Amino acid sequence: MISSELVDLSRLQFAVTALYHFLFVPLTLGMTFLLVIMEGAFLVTGQQIYKDMTRFWGKLFGINFALGVTTGLTMEFQFGTNWAYYSHYVGDIFGAPLAIEGLMAFFLESTFIGLFFFGWDRLTKGQHFMVTVLTAIGSNLSALWILIANGWMQDPVGAEFSYTTMRMELSNFWEVIFNPTAQAKFVHTVSAGYVTASIFVLGISSWYILKGRDIEFARRSFRVAAAFGFASAMSVIVLGDESGYTISESQQTKLAAMEAMWHTEPAPAAFNVIAIPNEKEQRNDFELQIPYVMGIIGTRTFSKEIPGIAEIKEKNRHRIESGMQAVTAMEALRRNKEDVAAKEQFEAHKSDLGFGLLLKQYTEDVSKATPEMIQKAVDSTVPRVAPMFWSFRIMVALGFMFAILLALSLYHTVKGTFLKQRWLLRWAVLMIPTPWIAAELGWFVAEYGRQPWTIYGVLPTHLSASSLSANSLYGSLTGFVLFYTGLLAIELYLMFKFARKGPGSLGTGRYYADQQAH
Amino acid sequence: MLDYETLKLIWWVLVGALLLGFAIMDGHDMGVGTLLPFAGKNDVERRIMINTVGPHWDGNQVWFITAGGAIFAAWPLVYATAFSGFYWAMLAVLWALFFRPVGFDYRSKIENPTWRNTWDWGLFVGGFVPPLIFGVAFGNLLQGVPFHFDNDLRSFYTGTFWELLNPFALLTGLVSTAMITAHGANYLMIRTEGDVYRRVRSASLIFGSLTLVLFAAAGVWLSKGISGYVITSTIDPNALPNPLDKTVVTETGAWLKNYSLYPATMLVPAIGFLGGLLAIVAAKFNKPLTAFVGTSLSMLGIIGTAGVSMFPFVMPSSSDPRSSLTVWDSVSSHLTLGLMLGATIIFLPLIIIYTSWAYKKMSGKVTAEFINANDKSAY
Amino acid sequence: MWYFAWILGVSMAVLLAIVNTMMCDAQACATKDEQS
Ligand code: HDD
Ligand code: HEM
Ligand code: HEM
Repeated sequence: MISSELVDLSRLQFAVTALYHFLFVPLTLGMTFLLVIMEGAFLVTGQQIYKDMTRFWGKLFGINFALGVTTGLTMEFQFGTNWAYYSHYVGDIFGAPLAIEGLMAFFLESTFIGLFFFGWDRLTKGQHFMVTVLTAIGSNLSALWILIANGWMQDPVGAEFSYTTMRMELSNFWEVIFNPTAQAKFVHTVSAGYVTASIFVLGISSWYILKGRDIEFARRSFRVAAAFGFASAMSVIVLGDESGYTISESQQTKLAAMEAMWHTEPAPAAFNVIAIPNEKEQRNDFELQIPYVMGIIGTRTFSKEIPGIAEIKEKNRHRIESGMQAVTAMEALRRNKEDVAAKEQFEAHKSDLGFGLLLKQYTEDVSKATPEMIQKAVDSTVPRVAPMFWSFRIMVALGFMFAILLALSLYHTVKGTFLKQRWLLRWAVLMIPTPWIAAELGWFVAEYGRQPWTIYGVLPTHLSASSLSANSLYGSLTGFVLFYTGLLAIELYLMFKFARKGPGSLGTGRYYADQQAH
Repeated sequence: MLDYETLKLIWWVLVGALLLGFAIMDGHDMGVGTLLPFAGKNDVERRIMINTVGPHWDGNQVWFITAGGAIFAAWPLVYATAFSGFYWAMLAVLWALFFRPVGFDYRSKIENPTWRNTWDWGLFVGGFVPPLIFGVAFGNLLQGVPFHFDNDLRSFYTGTFWELLNPFALLTGLVSTAMITAHGANYLMIRTEGDVYRRVRSASLIFGSLTLVLFAAAGVWLSKGISGYVITSTIDPNALPNPLDKTVVTETGAWLKNYSLYPATMLVPAIGFLGGLLAIVAAKFNKPLTAFVGTSLSMLGIIGTAGVSMFPFVMPSSSDPRSSLTVWDSVSSHLTLGLMLGATIIFLPLIIIYTSWAYKKMSGKVTAEFINANDKSAY
Repeated sequence: MWYFAWILGVSMAVLLAIVNTMMCDAQACATKDEQS
């Protein structure tokens, strides 16, 4: 049996490396489109300043991009190194989007990004613009495929289990691609990236304006960021709501934990704005509610109920008991394919196979599981409530804050008064780091909320890990943390250095830092 | 759709093609990294070398990433078993590769010589270590790897990291390193002039010859001292993949069987040698483009030789031979293989077209004047 | 069809942003910014 220490370490390593990767991804996703906008303005007006904008923000983008690639490499191979059984069990479905991501997106993005940086003198204006557009499309397509893969983990459609090959097999690829969970996730996540990049540009431009330097440059950058950012912030909120809705259909445990709903309430349920969840007694010590709102968001009706944790657990108990039959029958079939009785039993219970596998954490022989084990398995089907509840609320609160900031910025650019709104500019500078917090918390909600599954309802996390020694994991985890932290420090140092220097770092002689040097 | 057996065979060829694409494309910029601290004697020379691959290294690296993704999609059991079994070797590759993106992008952003020198060695590590380890991995595949499956098809690797570093595997590791270095040198000959050109030309001659000698040595060793694997049960190539359904024995000389069975396959090692010779002669006569084609062919032959020798095995197991992974039983479902073939047919030609366009647009020698004129924007 | 919404949405947002920044070059707006 796989030790729980090993599983926990593998989880931790995955979480650390993925969260690091996602420090760099959002800026790439959004910045490429901001560059398209700036270069588009250059193409239309032919003014040098737009080219300088594209090149300067492109430089900051490049510093970030390098670490996105570095940390992405780990991700591509980590399923094999650390989640070997997972890779075998679902590789038939999960591997395909990953491979297509390489073929369709990474090649595009990585080939053209080289031309973006080095092709200014070799390409015509139009060609260079096309290169920038293709880079943006490439980076966003990479998000598309990986989120289709991740969406399938949350909501595994279009696949079936085969006991001969002992794995899930693809039955309908279109269902996987057009999975509603994947669609909502994709648009929500890339929009979050656009918001991140917009606030990055908005904040740094504001800083230049506050300092009274490179005004012409900063003013135009501010305008780009405000407009694009505002549209994106709206999209984040709409698609965040859509994500919540898809969860209410496909992952009731996650929704219940996010909302601290211990029991089913009569429809339409109330929304807990603030609550103090008490895990031990399975209730909230305190709650501040808005009536009806949860029911409407979650079900988009006034009459459908949203199941609470206690009720979900009871349903899961039945599924676990039925799953025991499925596991037993499957094991008989692995020994003898012709066993007719086993086949019948398997067919009757196969939709609960994953729930039966939950018991493998406590016993090799699932058919002999004791009532205590079953109880433990039942309790494990709902993630811990407090971390989910709070992470989700902080993300949403930040989301609304971004919307307000960007709306006000856009308003003042349309009126042409933003240069003197010093409070707005200061606020924009302070907000620079917050989109990253929201994004990381979003991932936490999505992934921690999926526990105890890697493939929701199909494959438990504790079975997914590779059979490595815990010591190997201590070693590799330490290595990753040291490596990534060192690289992150270097990245931040360069980022600050070049952001401070501003467009003068291009060495064109037209900007503030150039004048200081003379 | 094509039948299952045909698709299984096609995917063997396609995985090989992706690995070859990786060797040719990412191989030449790894070769540049390996040569960087030695062939570049001062900052400008090193920047010249780095900028020959500056616009392309990331696109090239995607061959590696896509090969990984394709193995995941087409041979999930190989992806799972090999990468978790070779855990520390994989991590060494990854950690070495970490130095490349940051090395390329950050090195010239700051003018401090210590900073730049440190990144140059980082780029060396990123260029030198991965080919070495891939060579070592192939050496181990040829000998068989100690792993087995339990009844649920969970894999267990029972060897240690140090066992991977056995003499035969170290030899194949050197073959791979020499081959990549020669290839990188040939690429640099196309894109540089003057002192750097002269130095990489000697490197090309030395490492080109070394590759052929080591390759021959490995061939002799393989036929005399390494036992291959043979499937003894009848296999149904159209069956659903289950590696535990067969029986396998080891046999000295088994890895040569395919050559006597299908004599045409002798062409593959022959291309390895002839391509290598072509490269050496062309480098001698200052024909860098031909030399580059020569090393590319040579890599086709050398990687192909490993593949053909083992066919249909992909990853034989030394401790439990019936757990061995083969072209027939480590694959994805019929539907996934067909679908991925479709995706490859659509995208691979596109990739080749726009990559060629990118190289064409950026072609020509990288000179010291260029570096000085673009001090702030070049790598 | 959220994928479709995305394609439309991004294109619209890009255009909006281009227009918004080019307002800077339209005389009226530039002087307005100037006075502030
Ligand atoms: C700047 C970042 C950002 C902001 C402001 C928001 N989100 Fe978000 N959210 C993400 C960044 C993010 C993310 C990183 O993109 C996640 C993680 C996984 C995913 O699919 O998207 C995510 C996940 C995520 C999920 C879980 C999806 C799942 O488990 O499949 C929900 C329900 C929401 N979000 C809802 C919202 C709502 C209602 C917001 C309202 C303002 C919001 N998010 C703002
Ligand atoms: C398990 C998940 C993931 C894997 C296996 C993975 C893999 C990779 C790899 C290998 C690269 C480097 C490509 C290159 O060399 O150019 C990369 C970069 C990138 N990834 Fe990820 N990734 C994962 C998660 C994500 C997610 C969730 C997103 C977006 C929502 C994303 C978006 C990107 C983007 C935009 C890049 C471009 C470079 C950058 O990050 O700055 N990735 N990823
Ligand atoms: C398709 C790609 C992904 C796969 C296959 C995947 C799978 C996993 C697995 C196996 C774990 C460990 C078990 C667990 O605790 O959940 C995990 C945890 C986690 N992953 Fe993902 N994940 C994916 C994408 C991502 C990305 C791109 C991010 C963020 C950038 C992310 C964030 C997290 C976090 C925060 C955890 C920790 C949750 C926890 O420890 O319980 N995941 N994921």
